[in-house]
Amino acid sequence: MRQDRRLHWLLLAPALVLMAVMLYYPMLGTVYESLHETSFLNPDPKFAGLALYRRVLADGTFAQVLANSVVWTLGVVLLQNVLGFLTALLLNQNLPMQGALRAVVLLPFILPGVVAAILWRFMYDPQLGLVNSLLLQAGLIENSVAWLADSRMAMASVVVAAVWKGFPFSMLIYLAALQNVDRSQIEAAMLDGAGPVRRLIDVTLPAIRDVVVVNIVLTLILTFNYFDIIWVLTKGGPQSATHIFPTKIYETGFGQFRFGEAATYGVFSILVLAVLVALYAIVQGGANRRRAAA
Amino acid sequence: MKRSFLTTVALGTALLAAGPALAEEVTLQFWDNQQTESGLSDVQKAAVERFMKENPDIKIEVTTVPYPEYQQRLLTAVQGGNAPDVATLDQIWGGAFAKAGAVADLTERAGAAGLTRDGFFGGAWDSTVVDGKLYGIPFNVDVWQFSYYNKALLDAAGIDPASLGTFDGLKAAAGKLTADGKFGVGLFGHKGEDTVVVGDSFIFSNGGRILDDDGNCALTEAPAVEALTYLQELAKFAPAGILNASSGDMRELFLNGSLAIEFWPALEQPTLQKSSLDWGFVNGTAPEGKTPVGTFGGWNLAVFETSQHKDAAWKFIQFMVREDVNGDVVDLIPANKKAAEAFLAKNRQDPQTIMAHLDNAKARPLSPRYLEVADAQIAMFQDIYAGNDPAAAAAKACDVINTLK
Amino acid sequence: MRQSRAARLGLMLLQLLLALIVLLPFFWMVSVSLKPPTEPFAIPARLWPDDPTIDNYVTAFRPEFRTYFLNSLVVSLSTVVITVTLGLLAAYSFTRAQLAAISALVGLVVLAQMFPHSAIIIPIYKMMRGANLLNTYWSLILAYVSVTLPVAIWMLRGFLLKLPAALEESAAIDGAGPLRVFWDIVVPLSRPGLIATAVYVLIVTWQEFLFALSFTSTKEMRTLPVGLNDFIGQYGIRYGELMASSVMVSLPVMAVFFFLQRYFVAGITAGAVKG
Repeated sequence: MRQDRRLHWLLLAPALVLMAVMLYYPMLGTVYESLHETSFLNPDPKFAGLALYRRVLADGTFAQVLANSVVWTLGVVLLQNVLGFLTALLLNQNLPMQGALRAVVLLPFILPGVVAAILWRFMYDPQLGLVNSLLLQAGLIENSVAWLADSRMAMASVVVAAVWKGFPFSMLIYLAALQNVDRSQIEAAMLDGAGPVRRLIDVTLPAIRDVVVVNIVLTLILTFNYFDIIWVLTKGGPQSATHIFPTKIYETGFGQFRFGEAATYGVFSILVLAVLVALYAIVQGGANRRRAAA
Repeated sequence: MKRSFLTTVALGTALLAAGPALAEEVTLQFWDNQQTESGLSDVQKAAVERFMKENPDIKIEVTTVPYPEYQQRLLTAVQGGNAPDVATLDQIWGGAFAKAGAVADLTERAGAAGLTRDGFFGGAWDSTVVDGKLYGIPFNVDVWQFSYYNKALLDAAGIDPASLGTFDGLKAAAGKLTADGKFGVGLFGHKGEDTVVVGDSFIFSNGGRILDDDGNCALTEAPAVEALTYLQELAKFAPAGILNASSGDMRELFLNGSLAIEFWPALEQPTLQKSSLDWGFVNGTAPEGKTPVGTFGGWNLAVFETSQHKDAAWKFIQFMVREDVNGDVVDLIPANKKAAEAFLAKNRQDPQTIMAHLDNAKARPLSPRYLEVADAQIAMFQDIYAGNDPAAAAAKACDVINTLK
Repeated sequence: MRQSRAARLGLMLLQLLLALIVLLPFFWMVSVSLKPPTEPFAIPARLWPDDPTIDNYVTAFRPEFRTYFLNSLVVSLSTVVITVTLGLLAAYSFTRAQLAAISALVGLVVLAQMFPHSAIIIPIYKMMRGANLLNTYWSLILAYVSVTLPVAIWMLRGFLLKLPAALEESAAIDGAGPLRVFWDIVVPLSRPGLIATAVYVLIVTWQEFLFALSFTSTKEMRTLPVGLNDFIGQYGIRYGELMASSVMVSLPVMAVFFFLQRYFVAGITAGAVKG
């Protein structure tokens, strides 16, 4: 038994060591870096205390990056899950062609993020892109819309591109959950005369509640950390209108070689993500308690 | 046993004999920006071969890096202590590399070799001078921007191309040309250096400057703010989406005939020559009665401070900018003026006009923190293209730039 | 569950709409890639070029592209093999070992899935620089294995938990040690889980952008996503070529996915639905 124990530690060791060195240590390293200033002219880290935190907070873009990150994350998570769920419902109906369609719908998910972004960048091109051409020809807009260049429109546009790429993943998980729902319960509800909407609310949703929770937390984390789409589409522009934490960190760290400030943004991003997940857990917990009490 | 002993002795003697010769053979690491647009690297290889034939004791190893990553690679190499011996540096990097002590002072060598400002385009030469010392030799240049125009569209609107050379003329033409789904002028303002160089040239042409002699931000001075105000008005006649558009996007519109005027350096000519478009160009734009001042772009050759072979490296630089070599190794314009004249006559339409624009162009400021200066300027240009007050946008940029010092 | 004819028709129309939303951008990508490079773009955009040609593909398949492709292949496949191996070993112990620390360790694995890559990239970059690994395959493989490992362990753990214990127990009674049991019984039985995890890791690493962008710097070491982004270049975007490259980048991973889809769907949902 003791030997078994040693063996198991041995089997765990490579994974645990790697995660400790490459994930947990850098987590602490980011805090260390955020307390030190570097630049190209002075590459040797110099202790700066909390000066970089003060500098980042005093800079107007911080508030914007924070707000953008929240809008981006909530927007994508919400739309992606609603669309993913509705698609899963649709593809769970025993209609003709569903097998093929299920495979087709997954295509955007497999498409590399950079490719998806390059593709959407061209789709959104004000003059040459497909989006404006179709909308103009359909008479839905009168003039070309600068989807990515107008600071009021840019965030919504990158969200749409990200949702297009991401919703199949949510769909996949919802579909699997729907297929696990006990048919007899649905049939019982039908016998009671419940319509499709009632059946959805009374039977299906409660049955897949845990999956919804997992799905939302998963997309929340993935979206908050997603760099590719925004970087290729707008580099965080115009005027920082789409700068989120990952793009700002990359720009500051690897564009301007200010590792200290980039790490400070990194520490804030970890905190913000933790707050978002915690908030969701609280809301979710509250809902559970209400349900238990009811 | 005996035999192998003898062999060893023989080998040792041979090595000793070869020793001095080996010690003289020098291998230089040369890094260059990779130009994916053309077959240039082959031509450059031929030039390197030629150099090695002329200098059998020097071997050159070439590494090319794509532009978007080139700077980072060099910076990392400098910090890691494995910088090359010679490299091409974008003009705007010179200040930082010099201040960081990464590149060698070439003042004496250039003086001894008789390489002077007169032999090169002045603006390009100036971009290698930091605190009165010379840190590089100009390699190739180009100037932002020439205003390329679509002849058919201008004819149809009854516009004289020469009128594009003045602020008022350009604005009037752009307004007239913006009709029937066509766009007047290809302004762009994405997050990229091309946004800065075009904006700078309007500021320069109006008598403004980016930094003053002490390195303080000068964008709030009247000529600069006036130029920004002008750009904001001109933007009305540009295709929608300025803030995410690049010079490349404008090129597509120009090529498909929907854009009347685009802003590009002389490098654009080969592309236009290959197209079926009927085109012409004028040298930038300035207020009535003044000569347009373009913004220099281009590359300088520098020797790194850590190099063990500075003499050989210097020899290589002298070779690369020689009159009979310089034109063969660049796809921009040779920085050596004599080579440039021959190059332009052979490869570009209207070479005299281009030469005049090059002679008059100005370099971007040589701040050791140029990248951050440029970022602040991009934010400023985006502000004005988005319709914000030019004076306020300039003040905001100056706040950022002045805290950098 | 019979639906009225009208409802069925409505649902079919919705399906059509869904297919359109998903496929239109793909169709456009292929359409642009087939446009003759010399022909200017039309306004309004044309859905299909007049004389489709594969010229863009010929140009796009340049030596650099082949290098990037090879690099992506080396890095992705190495990562898949290492991650799946380490993940299975760890998952086995996580599900079979009677160790007091197990639940705490599982918690650490779950937590590690949440780490923002952009937030930890600077210390990792500095470590790689210190170890002289920047601009090598190893910098990417190490980073990719580390960031995919938590999810892989999680997926495989879900899988191993569902394996019937009886087989392993009877083998143990027959005197087989834990390693024998692992090799003879657990590994063959977990094949579907291994395939699912491998496909997941492949999809993630094939498209990884941030680490590859930051850790590699020469065209000899670039991977496809970063190489593709490099093609955008200093000032210009040549969309025809770019779309042709995009199609070529996407095809391999799509092909793999379609052959192994069944496993992947089962694997990814097992973790989320039952985990």
